[in-house]
Amino acid sequence: MTDPRIERLGDLVVNYSLELSEGQVVRIDGLEIAAPLALATYRAALAVGAHPYTNLSIDGLLELLLESGSEEQLAYISPVHVSEMETIDALVTIWSEANTRSLTRVDPGKHSRYIAAHRPLSNRRWERIASGEMRWCGTLHPTFAHAQDADMSLEEYESFVFAACHTDVENPAAHWSEVAQGLGARAEELGSVRALRIVGPDTDLRLGVEGRTWLAADGKFNMPDGEVFTSPREGETEGEIRYTFPAIFQGREVEDIRLRFEEGRVVLAEAVRGQDYLRSLLDMDDGARVLGEVAFGLNYEIDRFTRNILFDEKIGGTMHLALGAAFAQAGGENSSGLHWDMICDLREEGEVYADGELVWKAGEFLSEPVVHA
Amino acid sequence: MNTVPRIERLASVLVDYSTEVQPGQLVLIESSPLAAPLVLAVARRVIEAGAHPQTRLAVDGLTETLLAHGTDAQLQWVNPARVEDYERADVRMVFEAEFNTRTLSSIDPERLALAGRAREQLRDRYLERAAAGELRWVITLFPTYSAAQDAEMSLAQYEEFVYGAGRLDEDDPVGEWSRFGDGLTRLAEWLDAKSEVRVVSDGTDLTVGVEGRTWIPCGGKENFPDGEVFTGPVETSLEGEIHFSFPASFQGRMVEDIRLRFEGGEVVEAHAARGQDFLDAMLAMDDGARRAGEFAFGMNEAIQEFTRSTLFDEKIGGTVHLALGKAYPESGGQNRSALHWDLVCDLRSGSEVFVDGELVYRDGRFLPGIY
Repeated sequence: MTDPRIERLGDLVVNYSLELSEGQVVRIDGLEIAAPLALATYRAALAVGAHPYTNLSIDGLLELLLESGSEEQLAYISPVHVSEMETIDALVTIWSEANTRSLTRVDPGKHSRYIAAHRPLSNRRWERIASGEMRWCGTLHPTFAHAQDADMSLEEYESFVFAACHTDVENPAAHWSEVAQGLGARAEELGSVRALRIVGPDTDLRLGVEGRTWLAADGKFNMPDGEVFTSPREGETEGEIRYTFPAIFQGREVEDIRLRFEEGRVVLAEAVRGQDYLRSLLDMDDGARVLGEVAFGLNYEIDRFTRNILFDEKIGGTMHLALGAAFAQAGGENSSGLHWDMICDLREEGEVYADGELVWKAGEFLSEPVVHA
Repeated sequence: MNTVPRIERLASVLVDYSTEVQPGQLVLIESSPLAAPLVLAVARRVIEAGAHPQTRLAVDGLTETLLAHGTDAQLQWVNPARVEDYERADVRMVFEAEFNTRTLSSIDPERLALAGRAREQLRDRYLERAAAGELRWVITLFPTYSAAQDAEMSLAQYEEFVYGAGRLDEDDPVGEWSRFGDGLTRLAEWLDAKSEVRVVSDGTDLTVGVEGRTWIPCGGKENFPDGEVFTGPVETSLEGEIHFSFPASFQGRMVEDIRLRFEGGEVVEAHAARGQDFLDAMLAMDDGARRAGEFAFGMNEAIQEFTRSTLFDEKIGGTVHLALGKAYPESGGQNRSALHWDLVCDLRSGSEVFVDGELVYRDGRFLPGIY
């Protein structure tokens, strides 16, 4: 018997997130361990008359390339993948791992060079998404590995994931439409703000957001979702921030990061654990030291840290700031092979000021946004 | 004793001998996650060779979902990414590794045929590039429970069978295959000068015209394991009847005890003890499906058992096989079809083969002096 929560998730991604229609080509990416959700997504796409196909990999292949590949092999981009990125109408990424630490011991320099070399492909993907030529949604199928990272049993973790997606109940699309309305109103309200100041333990950071567009992350690009975000002005970030949650990138954990920004760039970076990795990522390219995103996490069904950015960045009551690539659709200009979300828990003592006015305290906005019908 | 794990030896034979992977080449690996150990071993060897592995892995249920629930337009859709695969790849490797060989058993044969016809252009293109020397390909099998079950063996027994047929327990598998390939090449050269093959056995008396056609020796380059010599018969030449005592498996379907009568190269009568509807549907797929695209001698003496897998069955030492449908262009065969269905005829007892009227083969073996 198929888990109806998985069937609903496949259906939600196809019909609500991607709004897939007849004749469109959709590629479903992931590891084979995500097969149940890949199949549910495939089935839902077939039902709307689309042309789905899967692009599944197995654990170990990337590790093999990163460990044994020459520099030329690391930098190789398949012409087939280039052509696919030009022609597909939609892409689903299922971020399910068999082992979230498979790549922990590979040479971080090689990994960074691999990512940097594949930038043309990811840039093209973001370009087509931004221009509306292609739709994309990233989601997750619960596995033992993710449950273990979350300190849960698989059964508990499944309940957590499907509750966050609202696929534990009938008609999750109705819920997400409602969420979209609230987030849209909040984004519109933030659109008139020129400067943000975030204050918390060891944190006092000022960001310029004037002229940037705030976007509502309402389940179209990620499932689950629930945040409002923008790309801050590149040269204006000043001050210090401390991330109490571990920051994870490509399966590697960096703990208790403190960053100091001057004129938009990281000038000081410290971590209690993983400092070398932190610094190698900051040196990946010119844009890696500049913020590409600032966001409020607003999914209050996600109430705990589970070592997975898809969920953690949406924890209701947190903010996250990503180093690296900015969002063109938000007006961001920073370009980098990196996009590393780091989460700052503001649920106990955090305060956020918008143009000098206190708007957020202890993990919540102080007023409801005005919903324009 | 060779202490390198068999799977690594297999990977090295496929990469170094079968397809001779060169630095910088794009190597496409098509399989299922069940073959993960072989996919990883081959990917490692490909990387060591300085080339670029790229995988296309299927999971059970996708094809079934498409064939059972897709519209005609969806069934006939040709994925542009697959077109690009076959246009760009320098090497294509297929590792058969099924979760369940009967997944498609209850699919309407007409729908199978519809999907098959739509994808004909894909296969034609890669065979065309292969014939032009632009693409190397090899098909092998990774032992799974489903294949062992079809062979009526335990998985451990089936692994012995598979690796034995590939001579992977020998000290120098590549040397073995090279020598075996040389013998098949001499046999093919001898057959190249001939015009007509007549096969006589119980229920079989079939004449096949081969004049002007090229016999291809198969010594482990495009199939692994291997062991056959084949050609594309003259399209209008087949006359008489043939009885296939082995069940014929195709797309997870078993058709038993097939008897075909040919006139002027075309199947004019087709009977099966079981699976008649499926046989009829396949023959009706298109114009070329009623003609033979391949005739071959199975020459691998390490394969003696019928295991319901064409890759192995068609190479059983002491058999011939005839494929309905598409001819391989390098053999000189011109028949076109979306079908290529190998049917195996056991000649190991009470049989004779005449070439240009001369008896050259009896009870499953060429006579001394011929091979």
